[in-house]
Amino acid sequence: MSAADLAQQQAAFMAQVLNENAALPAGWGNSQAAGMQVYRGNYRSALMDALGDTFERVKQYVGDAPFAQVAAHHAITNPPASWTIDDAGAGFEDSCAQLFGNNPEVAELAWLEWTMLGLATAPDAEPLNGEDFGSATAEFGDEDWGAMKLVLAPRTAAREVAHDLTAIWNSLGEGGAELGEFTLEGPGGCLVWREGEQPVFIMVNAEQARAFRAVQNGASYGEICMVLAGDNAGEQDIADAAMRAGAMLGGWLNDGLIIGLA
Amino acid sequence: MQTSHDTIAPFGGFGLGLRRTHYEDFLERGDGPDVPVDFVEVISENYMIEGGRQLRILEAVREKHPVIIHGVSMSIGSAGGLDADYLDKLKVLERRIDPLWVSDHLCWTRTSAHNSHDLLPLPLTGEALDAVCANIDRAQDHLGRPMLFENPSSYLTFPEDELTEWEFLSEMARRTGCYLLLDVNNIYVSSQNHGFSADDYLAGLPLERVRQIHLAGHDPATEHRDIIIDTHDREVCDAVWALYAKAMRMLPGPVATMIERDDNIPPLGELLAELERARGLADDVREPVPA
Repeated sequence: MSAADLAQQQAAFMAQVLNENAALPAGWGNSQAAGMQVYRGNYRSALMDALGDTFERVKQYVGDAPFAQVAAHHAITNPPASWTIDDAGAGFEDSCAQLFGNNPEVAELAWLEWTMLGLATAPDAEPLNGEDFGSATAEFGDEDWGAMKLVLAPRTAAREVAHDLTAIWNSLGEGGAELGEFTLEGPGGCLVWREGEQPVFIMVNAEQARAFRAVQNGASYGEICMVLAGDNAGEQDIADAAMRAGAMLGGWLNDGLIIGLA
Repeated sequence: MQTSHDTIAPFGGFGLGLRRTHYEDFLERGDGPDVPVDFVEVISENYMIEGGRQLRILEAVREKHPVIIHGVSMSIGSAGGLDADYLDKLKVLERRIDPLWVSDHLCWTRTSAHNSHDLLPLPLTGEALDAVCANIDRAQDHLGRPMLFENPSSYLTFPEDELTEWEFLSEMARRTGCYLLLDVNNIYVSSQNHGFSADDYLAGLPLERVRQIHLAGHDPATEHRDIIIDTHDREVCDAVWALYAKAMRMLPGPVATMIERDDNIPPLGELLAELERARGLADDVREPVPA
């Protein structure tokens, strides 16, 4: 047997582990078949446990049996490739969207838990406090403000959502929630970051979520103001947008989401 | 081909694995005595991260205890070689913690496409040995230190096997200069599953290369399942304690001993009591016999 044969043999073994319908290799008897059953069981239970730990609130929200179904679906459609089993939850939001199409809040909750998991192990970073920000911008003219870019704490995230994730989260903490009772009246947003060692989130309006994502994508403060003002904005619209951008900036600074200026 | 690395000095301590359930026990001792262990072993992959609470806890524990980093995902038996990203992150952790030593398992976990997150068995062939030794050389070169590799529990053997597991481990250690982590429970589990003698296994190993012993519980065979499964979810059984005592009598020098528990984790006191049993057994077998 050569190294290439060993690679081929390992690929075949892995296929056996991933797919219980795969035919056993030639020459294998009952003892190998029984042993393979143990490896298959180990693989599945490790994945189910990892997904259950990562998406604890999704599991609580949808119930054990539906969660087992979506976890199994996810494991089959997204077999893990990374060396860390923590990565097994990548794409779980999409699996939830597929299996819980009538309850899109499940996918939003999965996104939130996945984002919080990532934040828990994000690089440590010192937030920029208001005083440092004041010093850094003390000499700014209008052009400097317009060109200013914010450096965000690692892995902070925002997205637009259609459901009140705070209400879902809190009701689960209190012991249970009914599927589907958390739809917002209009588009909302969710902002997730780490406060010290603890991942946290708040609901914000959709505009703020869009603005935050624009910052993440490299938009300057001036560009954010223009995004908020919208197309064909007049002077007053731009002034209003600048006020709203200023309020957002103040909130992000206060919550420790900004670690520097660029 | 073996390259030169520092040797690992024997260390005869008794330790436990650091598990999340016991974080507070290790951290909140105030002015009281620290947890009475000589070392703490952690699962490498749980700390190969960039920041956050877990790393801070590990660093705090490291201030009080020597730490061993023990991996489950190096996949030293992969025919496709080692994952460069994994090795880089392991090295960052190794530099951060300055562990007593770094260990992993004689197994494979991944192909180029997928990762099983389980310790899969290797065919015991010359070709597999070549692949393992090449990977160990690379890992030890990357870390700049020798590693320990643990004998796994296994649930099947391959028709094409050419060597016994102890022959494979012996040759692996000879060629690469690596050391051995002897999991006594795994010897017991595999010996029962595959029908070999645990005594032959111990007698066939280069025991001077052993630096650590793992002890753990397993799920026995049942009416419906002939296979014993290595579960780490219960106390060490009497047969494994007996094998541990035998191993301790045969080992030529001090080795570190650890109780592994990964599921149904009891309060720390219960594990410390089990560790005390290991200390007692080790003391008994090392007691000089009066003339």
